[in-house]
Amino acid sequence: MYVALNILVFLKAIPEDVKEDPRTHGPTVEGVKLKMDDISRNAVEEAIRLKEKHGGRATGITFGSDAATLVMKEALAMGLDEGVLIKGYAGNNPSLTASVLAERVSRMQWDLLMFGFSSADSYTAQVPPMVSYMLKRPLIGNAVSLRVEGKTVKGVSSYEDYNVAYEAEMPAVISVAQEINTPRIPTLLQIMAASKKPLSVEQAQAQSARTLQVLGHTFPMSQRKRIIFEDTNKGVEEVAAVLRQVLGK
Amino acid sequence: MKGLIYSESAQRAKELMSFLKDQMELDLALPEAEAVQASSNGASRVYAIYGDVYEPFAVASAVVSVFDGHDYLFVPATNFGRQVAPIAAQLIKAEMESEIFYFRPEQDGAIVRRYFYGGKTLLEEKTGAKVFTVMTGLAQPAQQGSPSEVIRVEAKGGLSRVLQISGKQKASADITKADIIVSVGRGLGKKEGLELVRQLASVLGAEVAGSRPVCSDLHWLDEDRQVGLTGKRVRPRVYVALGISGQIQHIVGMRDSKVVIAVNKDKTAPIFQECDYGIVGDIYEVVPKLIEKLK
Repeated sequence: MYVALNILVFLKAIPEDVKEDPRTHGPTVEGVKLKMDDISRNAVEEAIRLKEKHGGRATGITFGSDAATLVMKEALAMGLDEGVLIKGYAGNNPSLTASVLAERVSRMQWDLLMFGFSSADSYTAQVPPMVSYMLKRPLIGNAVSLRVEGKTVKGVSSYEDYNVAYEAEMPAVISVAQEINTPRIPTLLQIMAASKKPLSVEQAQAQSARTLQVLGHTFPMSQRKRIIFEDTNKGVEEVAAVLRQVLGK
Repeated sequence: MKGLIYSESAQRAKELMSFLKDQMELDLALPEAEAVQASSNGASRVYAIYGDVYEPFAVASAVVSVFDGHDYLFVPATNFGRQVAPIAAQLIKAEMESEIFYFRPEQDGAIVRRYFYGGKTLLEEKTGAKVFTVMTGLAQPAQQGSPSEVIRVEAKGGLSRVLQISGKQKASADITKADIIVSVGRGLGKKEGLELVRQLASVLGAEVAGSRPVCSDLHWLDEDRQVGLTGKRVRPRVYVALGISGQIQHIVGMRDSKVVIAVNKDKTAPIFQECDYGIVGDIYEVVPKLIEKLK
């Protein structure tokens, strides 16, 4: 059965790297370029593939700042039809992010809401289940495969000890695992065409009520010996001696 | 002070019990099929969940239905637990913290530690959260202890339907329990190279593990041998990293190893910052020599 799908995909722009603040020697991402989170890339790719297969539209949504514009343009170049940039992101706060996103999409028509399972910077994995809860829509989490049939979506979730195949009525919330696909790299032509795709910018009015207080944010100190041998034979000799000692040989 | 642990497996529930037992009285909630294996390890109560035990909403609702009287809910950070915990936090209108590896109760909350920026940095926070996902493998499973009162709880009201449970290929060994690990990365170059790696592992009495590219992307090794942020966290006496560049996502999974030995062609590979002994060289040249020396 032919069903044109209306897909929303959330993507996250994350700092490319973490720098050492010269004053505090602590970590900082100030002035660091943003990139699309790898797992968001998988979510975008899956949204585009589903759209290509079933017809319909795929819209990207991100909660961030102006700096996320380039990341959204890249997702448009990959094949999303339009983008929504919600400004007002004030640091990692999953329940706040979830409520901003849930409120925004509750005003939209959609069949699938797609996320990456867990972003590589904060790695909390909280937002997709929270959005799913707030919208009272089913969740298929850490999906390694997805199939749309009529008004239902089927997906296999990868867990540590077993996999579970789920079926849910759409609209449904999906979070994807990295294994689900290999994201495409947009061509130059697509990148140029992306600048003509609609990208709307809006402002979220969200207030955080979180009690979190940061006591310390540091680079973990590695206590390793770091004895490095560039002479292979000498290295083998020394490492074999270390291993023999550990093995009690 | 009283904590509730929800886990889909008895093994991980018992690990988390050991991790927390000096700090508070604990109850467990787990699927009925797992409950018997964790019902005499010192938990006051075991809530045996039956019904829709694979559906995150149904499970979160069941867990929340027995939360009253507890100060905290702890969930091992598995891919299912990471779905149940945020829903449970929303249901009880509590704040939540993810992937913690240190916990100390405080007045009106707790002090926790977790990694941030993909494991590059460490956060210490005071939080009013009541729900936590906790890194797996932080402690040995709790020993046999006093028997628990077992109470059945139904999981129902799921929003999706479970069609099928399929087992994963069982690991021939559990790398989280290995004393010595030989781990390979993309630098191996070809799947056939595993033969050489297995030879070294056999000489050392080690288990073979791998980085994400080798396990999840190339499938040269089973996924349950993957070390790192999205794989297992291991803490062997010796960790030998062959052709592993040492991206932070990998380091997070092995940084608690006692001795780390690295072999890599690239002198600038980050793994050399995270090792005790490193050899700059081709693994196909170094490993045979190493085997020879150790025989």
